[in-house]
Parts: sequence; C-alpha cells; structure tokens
Amino acid sequence: MEILNSLWESICSIFTSSGLATLSWENYVMMCISFILLYLAIKKQYEPLLLLPIAFGMLLVNVFPGIMANPTNEMLTEAQVLARNLDPASYTTTVLDGTTYYNVGQNGGLFYYLYQGVHLGIFPPLIFLGIGAMTDFGPLIANPKSFLLGAAAQVGIFITFIGATLLGFAANEAGSIAIIGGADGPTAIFVTSKLAPNLLGPIAVAAYSYMALVPIIQPPIMKLLTTKKERSIVMQQLRPVSKIEKILFPIIVVVIIALLLPDAAPLVGMLMLGNLFKESGVVSRISNTAQNELMNIVTIFLGVTVGATATGQVFLSVSTLGIILLGLIAFCMGTACGVLFGKIMCAFTHGKVNPLIGSAGVSAVPMAARISQKVGQEENPANFLLMHAMGPNVAGVIGSAVAAGVLISQIPH
Amino acid sequence: MEMALNLLLAGIVIVFFVLVLLIFIIKIYSTIVQAAQNGSQKRKDAKKAAEKKPELIKAEPQVSTAQPTATDNEAIPGEVIAAIAAAVDAMYDKPFKIKSVRRSRANSGSSWRNAGLFENTKPF
Repeated sequence: MEILNSLWESICSIFTSSGLATLSWENYVMMCISFILLYLAIKKQYEPLLLLPIAFGMLLVNVFPGIMANPTNEMLTEAQVLARNLDPASYTTTVLDGTTYYNVGQNGGLFYYLYQGVHLGIFPPLIFLGIGAMTDFGPLIANPKSFLLGAAAQVGIFITFIGATLLGFAANEAGSIAIIGGADGPTAIFVTSKLAPNLLGPIAVAAYSYMALVPIIQPPIMKLLTTKKERSIVMQQLRPVSKIEKILFPIIVVVIIALLLPDAAPLVGMLMLGNLFKESGVVSRISNTAQNELMNIVTIFLGVTVGATATGQVFLSVSTLGIILLGLIAFCMGTACGVLFGKIMCAFTHGKVNPLIGSAGVSAVPMAARISQKVGQEENPANFLLMHAMGPNVAGVIGSAVAAGVLISQIPH
Repeated sequence: MEMALNLLLAGIVIVFFVLVLLIFIIKIYSTIVQAAQNGSQKRKDAKKAAEKKPELIKAEPQVSTAQPTATDNEAIPGEVIAAIAAAVDAMYDKPFKIKSVRRSRANSGSSWRNAGLFENTKPF
C-alpha cells in the first residue's frame, strides 16, 4: 500500500511540474498560432528562412517557458546548500534576521543567452553584414535619383508614428511600431530592442509577416495609384558601373551617414562593410562567410529567440492587435508614398520614370523590386523594370536604417 | 502630439537631406571616376595606336585567318574557332588578332593545377 502511495505521489509530482499543469490557456493559443505560422512557412513558403525559426521559437517558449527564463539568484541556508552537494565556501553570503543565507546563482534558459544577441543589438547588424555582402548597389550608383524613392517610402514610418501616438501608445512604443513601415526585419528588431524591448515579439512577427505578404499587399496599392499609361512606361537602360565606383560607394556612404546620424552607424556600417567585402574582390572567403554561414547562423539565433519573446501573456493582448493593424498601415503608407513620389518623378522627367519602381522603396529586398517588375510586365510584357526597381529597393535599406537612426536619436528611451 | 508632429517633420527632413546629399556625392564621384577612366583609356588607346599603327590597319577579328593556324595535332572545328573569337571579342573592346589556337594537353601541368581546374569546372 505504501508503495502505491509513493507511486501516486511521484505521478502527482511529475504532473504538477509538467506543462499540462503549469501552462495557461494563452500558451495553448500561442501554440496554435505557431502551428499556423509553421504551416505558412513550410507549405506556403512565406519567408521560410525566418518564419520557420520564429514559429518554432514561439512554440518552444509556450511549451516550456523556462527556456527563456532569466538567470536567478537563490538564497539557501547552509543545510540546503549541503543537501545539494554544493560547496558553501564557493558562494557569497547574506545575513537576514541572524540567519546566514548562501547566494546560489541559477543559470537562465538556453534562449535567454541566445537572446542577448537581440537584446544588445548584435544580431541585426550582423544580418546587415550578410545583406551587404549579397547586395549589388550598381543600379543605385547608376541612377542615384533612386535614393529619393527610397526616402519617400520611409514617410509612412513617420505618419504611422502619429497614428500610434493618437491611439495611446507611448512614444517609444509608437516608434517601434512605426518602423514596421520600413519593411526591414533586422531594422525593426534593432529599433525595437532599443526603444521598446517588451514589444519585440509582436513587432518582429508583424514585420516579417508583412514582408512575406508583399506580393499580396503592394499590387492593389500600385494599381490604384497609377494609370495604365504610367505602368507601361519603359525606362532607359542603366549605364554600366565601374568597379572603382562600387568600391568607393560603401566607404562614402558610411562616412556620410555615420557622421550625420551616429545612431544609424551600426546598421549602415555593417551593411557597407559587407558590401565592401564583396566589391573589393580581395576577401572572397570573408565575403562568402558573411553572406552564407554567418548569415545563416545569426538568422537561426535571431529567429528562434525573437519567436521566443512571443509568450501568450505578452502576445495575446489588445495592444498586439493595434501593433499588427498599425504595422499594416505603415507598410501600405510606405508603398503609397513611394509610388506617389514615383509619379512626381515621372512628371518631372516627362515620362521617363515608371512610378511602379517607387513601391520598391520600402526595403523588403528583393521581393518589392520583383513586384514592380511583375506589375509592370502585366501591362507591357516587354518591359523589364527589375534592375530599375533594385535602385530604390537598396536605397530603401539605407533609408530605413537612416529612419531608424532618427527614431532612436529623437525618441527618449 | 506635438512631439509626434515634430518627429514627422524632423524625420522626413533628415531622411531626405541625408539621401539627397548622397545623391550629390555619388554624382560627383561618379563623374570624377568616369572622367578619370575615360582619360586614362584615351591615353592608353592613343599610345597603343602610335605603337601599332601599321598593324592596326588589318587588325580586325580575323576568324578565318586564325583557323589555319590551328597548328597542333588535329584540326579544331570552325565553330569552335568562331566561338573563341566571339569570346575574345566580348572581352576586348578593341581590335584584335588571333594568331593561333592550340589545344591544351589535358594531362599537362601539376596535380594541383588539375585539381583546381576540376574544382572550378565541376558545376558545369
């Protein structure tokens, strides 16, 4: 009988410490959301490189919240220390009410340590290093006016900031929500980790979701704001860009931006370093590592840990709905501002610029440029806008980093 | 709200200012680089023209004259000669003359060379 009681107690003990007893309904809802995201990543292939680790991080943290637990400091009596086979001499002591307690540190969960790369703003610049090593700024150098479209598409960020403030979000939270309009995941994470780390989960999920939904969100806005004639405009071929111009570009950009806007220096600096690796042609091994192994490793860590911030208690709130809605507005505004500025450039150049390339001013490289190409070819199958759209597209990456620098420098945090 | 409006204005102005500044700087350095490259190219062309003036008169992609110069073992097919001439033409922007086309001996050279060749041509 005693054995049965002991067995029952063991079973009860295992059950009470298991997830079945400790998890709340929010965790189960989040598990369902993570299953949906996994489905979208695997079956629909929506940004799978990021959505898959994000969704799995979300799943893991809601099944086992301890994986994201902070390190703790336990105060134990001498008897408790000895009971754990620990050496009391190894720990500092605190005396409370005449009793001596030993400060025994407890390690945090695995994701807590990986998350420090996000928390300290390390991973997003490393991702930018890889992006820089993969990016060809040739179209932008050949047609520097593309910078204007990259700048125009950032207007949505600042308009959304007003909207978020009106909805009652604090300035730091509004800034983090608004940067979703830049359609640049690492930038959104970088800004949020600085301004409002508590919103990291919802903002990262919203940013990457909208980037994945570019082919669905952008075309209706592009078609709504342009005429058939404008969409059919064939642009002149870009001039070839020499190697020396490509080598000088990252050096000049980083000097100018880091001098004027130091807060954007980590992102722009790493982006340009990666690009210099590529264009210099003398460090192909490093360039390959930056755009492949390093990028992949950081992507895994960034994805799972950002996903792990989306616990049920944080994610399932009214403010998350507000973030997702405002993020969508920011993204649409960015697209619309880019296209409208493209129309202005079209008018000024007497029809030499196809306004469709303006939508690529939101980052989302290279998806946004591909959409400009696709929508343009629907009107004129012989029209090839891809290279023209790559100019605003990479300008958008620089523009969103500059906008991030403005937000970080102007908003108290 | 006042802060939001300030940020809207400051943000738009700063982003446009920085990127417009970059436009000007890129235009300036592109112009300088292009001018320098054109200048040095012209000087090189002029120098070569002065050195090889008599030869230049007949310096055209002479595919037909190259074909008989396939001196080594068996004759190289005309299509291959034409493809090589087209490739050379694509690489050099100036008049050229192919003097000979020879087959390379597959097993010549060191093992390291063959390993490098294999590594680089493996995907094809």
